[in-house]
Parts: sequence; structure tokens; C-alpha cells
Amino acid sequence: MALTSPPQTRSPFSVWQALVQRPELLTLTLVLLLALVIGLINPVFFTPQSLFDLLRASTVTGIFALGVLLVLAAGGIDVSFTAIAAFCLYTTTLLVLNVAPDAPFALPLLISIGFGLLLGLLNGLIVHRFRAPSLIVTIGTQYMIRGFLLAFIGTKHIMNIPEGMDRFGRWSLFQFTTAEGARASLPVAFLLLVAVALLTWWILSRTLLGRAIYAVGGSVPIAERLGIPVRSVYLFVFGYAGLLAGLGGLVHASLNQLANPFDLVGTELDVIAAVVLGGARVTGGTGTVIGTLLGVVLVVMINNSLILIGVPSTWQKVVIGAIILLASGVFSRRKLA
Amino acid sequence: MKRKTLWIAAGLAALAVGVTGLVLAQKKYTIVTVVKITGINWFNRMEEGVKEYAKETGNNAYQTGPAQADAAQQLKLIQDLVAKKPDAIAVVPFDPAVLEPVLKQALERGIKVITHEADNQVNTLYDIEAFDNVAFGARLNERLAKCMGYSGKWTVFVGSLGSKTHNQWADGGIANAKKYSGMQLVDAKQETADDAEKAYQKAKEILKKYPDIKGFQGSASTDVAGIGRAIEEAGLNDKVCVFGTSLPSIAGKYIETGAVDGIGFWDPKDAGIVMNKVAQMVLEGKKITDGMNLGVKGYEKVSVTKGPGQGFIIRGNAFVDVDKSNLKDYNF
Repeated sequence: MALTSPPQTRSPFSVWQALVQRPELLTLTLVLLLALVIGLINPVFFTPQSLFDLLRASTVTGIFALGVLLVLAAGGIDVSFTAIAAFCLYTTTLLVLNVAPDAPFALPLLISIGFGLLLGLLNGLIVHRFRAPSLIVTIGTQYMIRGFLLAFIGTKHIMNIPEGMDRFGRWSLFQFTTAEGARASLPVAFLLLVAVALLTWWILSRTLLGRAIYAVGGSVPIAERLGIPVRSVYLFVFGYAGLLAGLGGLVHASLNQLANPFDLVGTELDVIAAVVLGGARVTGGTGTVIGTLLGVVLVVMINNSLILIGVPSTWQKVVIGAIILLASGVFSRRKLA
Repeated sequence: MKRKTLWIAAGLAALAVGVTGLVLAQKKYTIVTVVKITGINWFNRMEEGVKEYAKETGNNAYQTGPAQADAAQQLKLIQDLVAKKPDAIAVVPFDPAVLEPVLKQALERGIKVITHEADNQVNTLYDIEAFDNVAFGARLNERLAKCMGYSGKWTVFVGSLGSKTHNQWADGGIANAKKYSGMQLVDAKQETADDAEKAYQKAKEILKKYPDIKGFQGSASTDVAGIGRAIEEAGLNDKVCVFGTSLPSIAGKYIETGAVDGIGFWDPKDAGIVMNKVAQMVLEGKKITDGMNLGVKGYEKVSVTKGPGQGFIIRGNAFVDVDKSNLKDYNF
């Protein structure tokens, strides 16, 4: 075997290296490729309306994903956030309806975020205190929170959500009428995703806390020896994921114009898949905000384009699974390199 | 003096016998209706029916149920009831399989068991279904077809491809639409996971793919809410027809704006009355036969078929069609 690589392989090698260093480029490539394929099969995909629909559908998934990103970066995993979101959206709606039905959106927002933060902190506390695998802990809390919600809070769908939430859900950022005479709009709620993305980016790349999160995700013993307060990091990441779950849940109910306690639970794997496809490793220590957002776009695009490209409903899950497998295969090749 | 006492005693005795005879002739039955969960609109509505039945017949009929939607709690409640030994119980099972042993026990103790919404229940004398699911789906579709002017593209959603009732409704609809050559089914049976948001996203995708779509048929109670929102946002209230299984409390908002044109369901109040009536007939030793009139709207000509166990399944035609005109009549 030659010790020096032949010169002609240098160019692909550097592309490969770029992908190793910046996995979000790979996600971006996948997003563009998929968009191209969908658009070629059905040109309707290349309309501003589609872009609006994509951004709108990404809003709640994106908010959840950014919380999961922090947990994954710190070496944990959270599958309870959908249950937290359902709990927050339903309990908040009930509470606000009974206490201050005319309150502005800020009130339910704060209540929901507060509930989410508390439940997230509970996750962090258990994970750290009992040194238990976070997967097992959050499976447990998912069942507990959902069970408590359905058993003690309520099971009825609430159509008449509080005025503030209703108005927020209908509030459009942009609106236009398509050639066919249909209206298309992008809700203001999308701005919440933008704000959360900026905040998360700032935490991860501009603060000591961000460095501590990656360090804990890399290796807990080393992080401890470096004097990083591991407990605080765990509390922070799970608390943050819970807080974003509360926010996402409330946005879901507002956009949906319906508080349904049975919603969301069952979609957590879509969100985790999005974060992993965005370049974060399940083993911790990596992951970026931009990669996660691209991962969310990828997953939402797959989920919301299957009718457009004519996949029969019985085959949709197979196709989603195949695309995710394919994408993760590309990612694992990256890791080998 | 002595004779007088005797006369009085005889008179009293006669009276006692007479009163006893009267009581025997008008024996009051105790019939307990056990629902899945108390306090929700659906079963509050059923309780109205049970109360109405009790008032009309004078029987001791009342409704109970667990405070939480939980199969184990319903089981416990029925176990306690079996110990008290009422004449009959009318159960809306949360999970039929969980209740099999306790219902068997009840039957062995001589308690008459009637069920509702459990056509797979083995240990029951009569299971009552409001309607045949395929016929229900066809009826929804017929209303949709009429709204669409019997032509144009249409589609049907289901909560999940694994849901038996949703598929029966959808298949009933699809078969009905085949009667009209102008009705063109596109991308049938999209799954919505009983989530209005999913129904909304799927509806938007359909609208994008087929800008000339004319009709939607929903199956999960949240489907029409999601579809209705997509239609409303797109400003297509007058151009697209939306029908589906749902309840006024879920779809009402969109029926009022015209985004949803109509929904179908069955009235739990009538089901409550029928369950109690059937229980009484069984207690009186009567049999329910095919084509019988049970004296409640929608159950005038019931079909009776053999169930999975010793019992029978009674099916009515108790469709309730709701649109803007009669929305106000239903509060659940």
C-alpha cells in the first residue's frame, strides 16, 4: 500500500472532509436533493405557498427539536417532551379559560412555559440524582405525565380556546392570494421559532454554558475533572427542553385552534430523527442549531410531500422510513471517514 | 269485642295481601347503566336518556361510571355492582376484553347484561349498535355527493389505516360514490392519527395537488375540524364540501362558518333509552327479534344478528345528520 494518496483523490477527499467538519452541509444537500426530486415529480411544490406551508409545519417541530438538541448535545435523550407539551397546552387552556378567558396571549404563554420548565427540571433532577439512563427516565415520565393528564385533568377536546390564543393562532405575518383564488399565509408563530433558534444558537456558541454542555456530552468524568457542574448542566438542558415543550405545545394548540389532550404524543421520534439528521450524534457532544433546523425541514418535507408525489397512504410510512434510513446511512459513512 | 278484633285482623290481613299483590304486579326493576367515563358531554347526554326512561317507566334506572377513562376502574365498579345484584346492567365497555370475566360472573348470578358499542363482546345477552358502519359511511357520502352536485374530485381521510370502524365508514363512502360516474376519488384514506393538525396539513397538501377538489369526507372526529380550518384559511368555504363523522362540540365552530357542511353521528341519549328498554324486555322474558320496533327514533326496525357469544347484536338506523340548520339542538 502506498503511504501517500494519489493526487487525483485529493479533491473528493476535501469535500468529504468538509462534510465531516460541517455535517449541516450534508443535511442541506439532502434537503436540496429531496426538494428537487419532489419538484420534478410535481411542479406545484415550487410555489411560494409550498414554502409557507413548509415553514408553518416546521414551527412546532422546530421548537421541540431545539430543546432535544441541547439534551442530545449533553449526552442525554428526551422522549417525554411531547407528553410535557400535551400536558402544558391542555392544562394551560383549561386554567386560562376558567380564570381569565380574555387575557392576552402572554398569560397562557408564560403559564405553559412555566409548567414545561418545572416538568423538564423534574426530568433533569431524576436523571442526575439516580444516575439513570435518560431514555428510561423520560419513557417513565412520558407515561406518568400523560397518564396524569388524561386521568386527572381531562379528556375532552376544547374547541373554544381562549381569545388570546385564538387571535395569536390566526395572526398572519404574510398573506397572499394564489392564482387559483386560494389564500396562503404564514403565521406570526413562525417568528417564535426564529427567536428560539437565535437564543439556542447564542447559548451553544457564545456562552460558557454552551461549552459545558458539549463537554458533559463528550465525557462526564472529564467534564467533572474540569470542574464543570454536571448537575447544573443536566438541570439546564432538561429544563430548557421542557420549557420549549411548553412553548411548542401552546403554539400547537393556538395554530390548531383546538386543545386536544391526545395530541403530539407519538411524534417524538420524528423530532429526534430530525435532530439526528441535522448532524447531532445520539452519543452526545455534537450538534448545531442550523443543522437541527435543516433536519427539521428535511423531516417535515418528507412527511408533507408524500401526497404531492403520489405515494399511496399505505406506503407512506415505508417511504418515510426508507428516506430516514438512507439519510442516516450517509451520516454513518461520514462518521467512518 | 273479641269478634271485632278478629274482623279488624282479618281486614288488615286482606289489605296486606292486596298490597303485596299490587307490589308484585308492578315489580320495579333496578337497571344500572355503566358508561366509560362520567362528566363528559357524550355520556351526560346518555344520562338524559336514562333519566327519561326512569321517569317514564318508574323503574329504578340510573347511570354511573368511573371518574377517569380507565378500563381497570370500570372493571372495579362493575365488580361492586355485581355484588349488589341489580336486575340488569347496561354497559358501555371501555375495553370489552377486560370486562369479559366480570360480565360472565354477572350473568352467572342472574343479572341481565346488555352492552353498547361492543360487537365483539362475548358475555352479553344483547349488544346494541346505533347503525351498520358501512351504511353510515355511505350515508355521509351521499350527503357529500349531493353537496358536490354528484360530480368532481373528492377524497376520504381515516384516523389510522388500522382502525376498523374508520375503514368501514370510508369503504361505505367509496362504494356509494361509485354510483355516480362524475365522482372521482383521489388519494383515498390518508391517515390523520386523530390529530386535527395532521388532518389540516393533509388537507392543504390535497388542495395544492388538486386545486379543483370538490369534497372531503372525514372519519376521526377531529378530521373535519382540521379540514375545515384548511378550507377556511384558503377562503374556499363555498367551493369545497366537507362532511364527516364528528360531534357538534368539535365541529360546531366550522359548521357555523360554513367551512364544514355537515357531520354525522349517533345520539347517546337514544342509545341510553334503548339499552334500558332492551334490559326491561329481557327481564320480562321477551325476545328481541329481527325487524322489531323498539319505540325509539332510529330503532323502529332493528336488525338482530348472532353475536360472538350466546348473545345477539341489535343494529338500528339511528343516524343523526347535523348541519347549520339543526346544530343548536345538540349540546355535546
